[in-house]
Amino acid sequence: MNAGTRTEIEQRAAQWLAQRDGEAWSDADEAALQAWLAADVAHRVAFLRLEAAWQQGERLQALGAGWKHSGPPPRGHWQAPPETRREQLLQALERTQAPPSGVRRSRMTRVLAVAAMLVCIVSAGLGWHAYTRVDSVSLSTRLGAIETQSLGDGSQATLASDSALDVHLSRRERRVELLRGEAIFDVAKDPGRPFVVDAGARQIVAVGTRFSVRRDAGELRVVVTEGTVRLQSADGAADQPSSLLPAGSVARIEGGNELVRSMAVADAEQLLEWRDGLLFFHNTSLRDAVAEFNRYNTRKIVVADARAAELRVGGHFRWDNVDAFVRLLERGFPVRAEIDDQRIVLRSP
Amino acid sequence: MHRALDRWFTDEILVHEEALLRYLRQACPTLEEAHDLRQDIYTRVYEAAGNALPTQPKAFLFATARNLLADRARRAKVVSIEPMGDFEPSLVLIDDVSPERWCGGRQALKHLAEAFDRLPDRCREVVWLRRVEELSQKDVAARLGITEKTVEKHIAKGMRLLADHWFGGHASAEKHTAVRDQRDERRHAD
Repeated sequence: MNAGTRTEIEQRAAQWLAQRDGEAWSDADEAALQAWLAADVAHRVAFLRLEAAWQQGERLQALGAGWKHSGPPPRGHWQAPPETRREQLLQALERTQAPPSGVRRSRMTRVLAVAAMLVCIVSAGLGWHAYTRVDSVSLSTRLGAIETQSLGDGSQATLASDSALDVHLSRRERRVELLRGEAIFDVAKDPGRPFVVDAGARQIVAVGTRFSVRRDAGELRVVVTEGTVRLQSADGAADQPSSLLPAGSVARIEGGNELVRSMAVADAEQLLEWRDGLLFFHNTSLRDAVAEFNRYNTRKIVVADARAAELRVGGHFRWDNVDAFVRLLERGFPVRAEIDDQRIVLRSP
Repeated sequence: MHRALDRWFTDEILVHEEALLRYLRQACPTLEEAHDLRQDIYTRVYEAAGNALPTQPKAFLFATARNLLADRARRAKVVSIEPMGDFEPSLVLIDDVSPERWCGGRQALKHLAEAFDRLPDRCREVVWLRRVEELSQKDVAARLGITEKTVEKHIAKGMRLLADHWFGGHASAEKHTAVRDQRDERRHAD
């Protein structure tokens, strides 16, 4: 390493990147940078590393979502337990209460931006306000995105790819309408206010627990990983008995039929691993596994024939790594893949 | 021409930095030293990959690390304190799914929040304004009442600290960054 010490190289690489990030970057600068990169592989690897980290910084925007003030939130903002997250509450309220007219919103923002003490007082007021009225908020995710949102009552919802739900919080109950897709709910305990998820013909009622609900055309799936939830028909009608689902239950509802499977909680949790970017299959038909991948990706996999569709697969996969999945399939199964930019077709040889 | 190799390096090698540092720390008394080795290892890996792309990037990375440590121990001519010890690279290879922070899920954001929160105040503010509020460096300077040159310096510093926190994760001890911050702070106190 005669091209300078590691620290010197890193400092230089950071300087280049910071300079390039500014407005005055010229062709001559670019040429000088390329020359520097070409001079030593050590330069290039240091540069790549910092560039990647800086690009990751873009994801800070996800953290910034909902934070309406200028400048960063106080340290530890994202670590604070939900119930002490006054800001979170403020954000939720701001998001939901601001009417479409921009006027009140900007006044609201200004009010919130005053002194910290004032914020405390205001938030106490708003907190009470939240308790006495209905707050609504709509959440949704794009294809390929997963997002965790606080609901303002201390509960959290993690939305899977291409999912949407409406949240209504009132003094008597917390109501979530799952419009499409799937969401995991971490429900804050509040015996006085049941947490109800509406999913078409069924309702799932919880007090303080963790469960997920998935709504597909014609099928509903409920996975409970903590506590107990009650599954009942939408209007509490007497013709459908309600069932109690303890942790480890996986209920599938299709048409009027309801099938409940009990499994170890750890197994049930594996069904929710998409939250961490993973898909879990165990003796799953290729048809179902592919459908799972397609929930998350724009480039769809198509299974061309019934024989291939019936193959059984297992394992953990990253849902954003379709290529690895397909590669492994080709290696281990009688399947051939035809790959183009739009889609991947799997067929028996 | 470099693009494909650069991308491979970012996606397949950099993602293992936390594990690599943890491994190197077994043999290095200071984190600084581990980072120096880390840089040498990256250089070797990148050079080798230029000739032929390793099919098992992570295994190749750790094999390179092990060779480098062995060279170093030979040169040092002291009885080293078991450079490998009970920390065989094979153990590192167990987590076959690449680090979760790269998956874009909840964990990734939590990790990013932690890395961001560890930045010094001013630096944190500059990074936020530039990265989240997407102000230009010029506007950041105007907002904070500092020169554009200083904004640039904060960005350069923020980038390095984010890289250490993000890639190094928990293997980068607080002590290390604290020392570095002071040094940088002094340099920026102009």
